[in-house]
Amino acid sequence: MTGAFFSELLKLRRRGLLLGGGGLLLGFTALFTVLGIERASKTPGNGRGFHVSVAELSRPDGLVRGISHAGTLMGIVMLGIFAAAFGAEYTTGALRNLLVREPRRVHFLVGKYLALLVFAVVVVALACVVSVVLAFALAPSKGIDTSAWTSSTGLADTWRAVWHLLVASLGYGTIGAALAIIFRSPVAALAIGVAWLLPAEAILSNLWTNGQDWLPGQLLSNLTSGGSASVSLTRTTITLVAYWAVVSIGTAALFSRRDVAN
Amino acid sequence: MHPPRSLPRRGAPPMIGTAGATDLAVRTEGLTKHYGSRAVVDAIDLELPRGVVSGFVGPNGAGKTTTLRMLLGLIRPSDGTGEVLGAPITHPASYLSRVGALIEAPAFYPTISGKRNLEILASLGRHDRRRVDALLVQVGLQGRGGDSFKSYSLGMKQRLGIAAALLPQPELLVLDEPTNGLDPAGIREVRALLRELADDGMTVVVSSHLLGEIQTICDHLVVIDDGKLRFQGPVEGLMSAQRAEVIATPEHAADLPRLADICAAADHLARIDGDAVHAVAPAEWAAELNRTAMAAGITLAGLAVSRGTLEDAFFAITDNEGHQILAHAPDGGGTA
Repeated sequence: MTGAFFSELLKLRRRGLLLGGGGLLLGFTALFTVLGIERASKTPGNGRGFHVSVAELSRPDGLVRGISHAGTLMGIVMLGIFAAAFGAEYTTGALRNLLVREPRRVHFLVGKYLALLVFAVVVVALACVVSVVLAFALAPSKGIDTSAWTSSTGLADTWRAVWHLLVASLGYGTIGAALAIIFRSPVAALAIGVAWLLPAEAILSNLWTNGQDWLPGQLLSNLTSGGSASVSLTRTTITLVAYWAVVSIGTAALFSRRDVAN
Repeated sequence: MHPPRSLPRRGAPPMIGTAGATDLAVRTEGLTKHYGSRAVVDAIDLELPRGVVSGFVGPNGAGKTTTLRMLLGLIRPSDGTGEVLGAPITHPASYLSRVGALIEAPAFYPTISGKRNLEILASLGRHDRRRVDALLVQVGLQGRGGDSFKSYSLGMKQRLGIAAALLPQPELLVLDEPTNGLDPAGIREVRALLRELADDGMTVVVSSHLLGEIQTICDHLVVIDDGKLRFQGPVEGLMSAQRAEVIATPEHAADLPRLADICAAADHLARIDGDAVHAVAPAEWAAELNRTAMAAGITLAGLAVSRGTLEDAFFAITDNEGHQILAHAPDGGGTA
């Protein structure tokens, strides 16, 4: 497992991925943070999108508004990164080389997954740092009071938001990895993942009253926004962990049993 | 090196277990792979000796790569058993650390350098990453290790694949079409490398369509066709199974019919081709033909023996449809 972990880290240390995937994540976070602050108005917002007021941003949780808004898009990028990392093994044919060197397939899978988790944690943490720095830098120009951000409540809210964003990103990444293994293609995984998480779930949640309680994309979105009135954070977390366990076990079983014939 | 084994009649059960288990690098019994109702590999009983270069030959779709993939744990057999380096193929982790392999086209990450690709594999297999530079030199890629894999020519990709296969310092090296895309000089280098590795005690299994190449570098031969094992044994076993042709050229063309009659009288099938008579006969019979012709007043301007090539032998075993057509095989030292 350690071999798979370190070899995947070696693979992740390449300029294209760091500048592309990492840059995209940092860019989204920065964009949402800047837009959130620059479009803040003196009048109260409706609580949706970027229409937040200066008063709302001055609250303890105001610091992480940008991060929370970027959650879904960051998740989609993470889905793409995980899907590319797992799917490329099939499309390049490298998987047969890799499994000759590490025939214990579950070890290989877990090591690779853990390396990607480390990558995700580092990138999400960096994105959060960028967001926080930008928020503090831009807040005075809009008259936003930042004193609440550094209060104990503010720090707790910030930590919680970062944690939720991180867990949600890993959730999106896990979906990407599972789809890539099932379909043996990064493109198919990305296309199916995005189509399901965005339009398909949006339609389903309109048709199905309890859709927000069960649909994975809705639950992940709910996690990044810190829970909602209809679905508690605890229930969201428990459901997502159950999904993660089922997906992980099922994918590992498929990967370990399926022939590598390409 | 190889105990002579006689070719059984067509339809006779293949010979198994003629060599001691410890002398064998690979041994399978009834190894089978079905895709749906189609048997891609059909009850193959392999015996590949240790320390020699074994050639895997067969037409496209014969089942060569599927067999190699089963030996490498990439494909699960539908039936049968097998051992690689004394360990069961159901537990590839117990032997793959001692096996190096290049299966089909060399497959690496295209945007990563050749050297980094090898380092990734070395890290995965917990091999010494310091060997990477030496391996790049060994396969002639020194100075190009830092270039991305996608910028490599087919021959360079092949060389990188061979370097990757050599990473674990294997006891058993499995190479699928290793000279694909190499220029003549590169092919010669790979042949020399494989010979050197085998001479150092490594067991090498080479799959190839190039029969001339197999004939040049292999000691042992496996012929697979239509998923079935058609022959296994020493290369010279298959070659000697081919009937030789005695080619006699009379001084005067007018003697050709009489010379052909002499061959026929000795129960050897003969045909006149150009200025010579070709007789299917053992090589030793050439001297007798010379004496008989002289006694009949025919002076021979030329007398030669053609033993045929591995290609001739291969097509004697298989036809284009992949059916066995060798009706009777003379003694030769192999199983078919």
